[in-house]
Amino acid sequence: MIAIPTLTTDRLTLRAPHIDDFDALAAFYASPRASFVGGPLTAELSWRVLAQEAGHWLLRGFGRWVVEHRASGAPIGIVGLWFPAGFPEHELGWDLFEGHEGQGYATEAAHAARSYAYDMLGWTTLISLVADGNDASTRVARRLGARPDGRFTYERFGDMAVWRHPAPSEVAA
Amino acid sequence: MTQTLTTSRLTLRPLAPRDEDAATAFYMSERSAMTGGHLPRPAAWRAFAAMLGHWQMRGFGLWAVTRKGDDTAIGMVGPYFPAGWPETEIGWVLFDGAEGHGYAFEAAQAAMADARTRLGWTDIVHYIRAGNDRSIRLAERMGARLDPDAPRPEGSSGPALVYRQPGGAP
Repeated sequence: MIAIPTLTTDRLTLRAPHIDDFDALAAFYASPRASFVGGPLTAELSWRVLAQEAGHWLLRGFGRWVVEHRASGAPIGIVGLWFPAGFPEHELGWDLFEGHEGQGYATEAAHAARSYAYDMLGWTTLISLVADGNDASTRVARRLGARPDGRFTYERFGDMAVWRHPAPSEVAA
Repeated sequence: MTQTLTTSRLTLRPLAPRDEDAATAFYMSERSAMTGGHLPRPAAWRAFAAMLGHWQMRGFGLWAVTRKGDDTAIGMVGPYFPAGWPETEIGWVLFDGAEGHGYAFEAAQAAMADARTRLGWTDIVHYIRAGNDRSIRLAERMGARLDPDAPRPEGSSGPALVYRQPGGAP
């Protein structure tokens, strides 16, 4: 077991994934919203995804957080640092659950996760992988200052656009 | 203190990041086809990450099976209960080269006894894919019987037979 850090932003808390997040995650993965990230999935496969999130932290020492809306305490998405076997380099990823899009939450959470990667882990670069047609995610990548940087084919999600984030020196301040 | 179970020949300890290579190799091998494996490396790694995460989520999971005096995992055996699973399962897989010594039986007996006493499990089943004759023989040797009326887990691993241990609800 490792201690998973908690990050706080104006409106959000990024915290360790927990078994109580299963219902929210399963609802997301059963919805059309998950079509860009390997969904829709059955309950069992959604469990595996949640268990993988926890396992990733244990294997890599970093991972993705469950994003909680501070005012309501509700889990609204999963955002963070992802480097499973087969990925070309460290990725910053974001999945927002149904009903929480359009309010800048993904950008706010991803900012916090990127700062953690640069300031606490000392990383010097990050990519985000976005499936073709995932316009909402593309907008988040742009808002974060990322630029297109080629393509990558992942056996689980297919062919995706690579977005390269600005370096630590470019996002300082 | 790390909890472990010991049998005459084996030590069962919690699955750990250091089991990555052995477990990933298993999920990539043809041997794992009957348990949803025989996967490319990225999927095999994710399968192991999920097994590891099961411990984090539930506080228990499949144990890493090791021979006494050698920490290398030769298989994974123990309580498995993902969300959406109809009933509590004791599962087992042995990695390449570890079969044929009765290790799975020895480990599964210990894991099942521990699940009954420590986790309070009463209704224990084993989900086995039709055609996995070695696992069917093991389930029967452990006292389980085919339960054709039991609910099956929905999911990716194909049609499952349900073997049930005596002593629980029907």
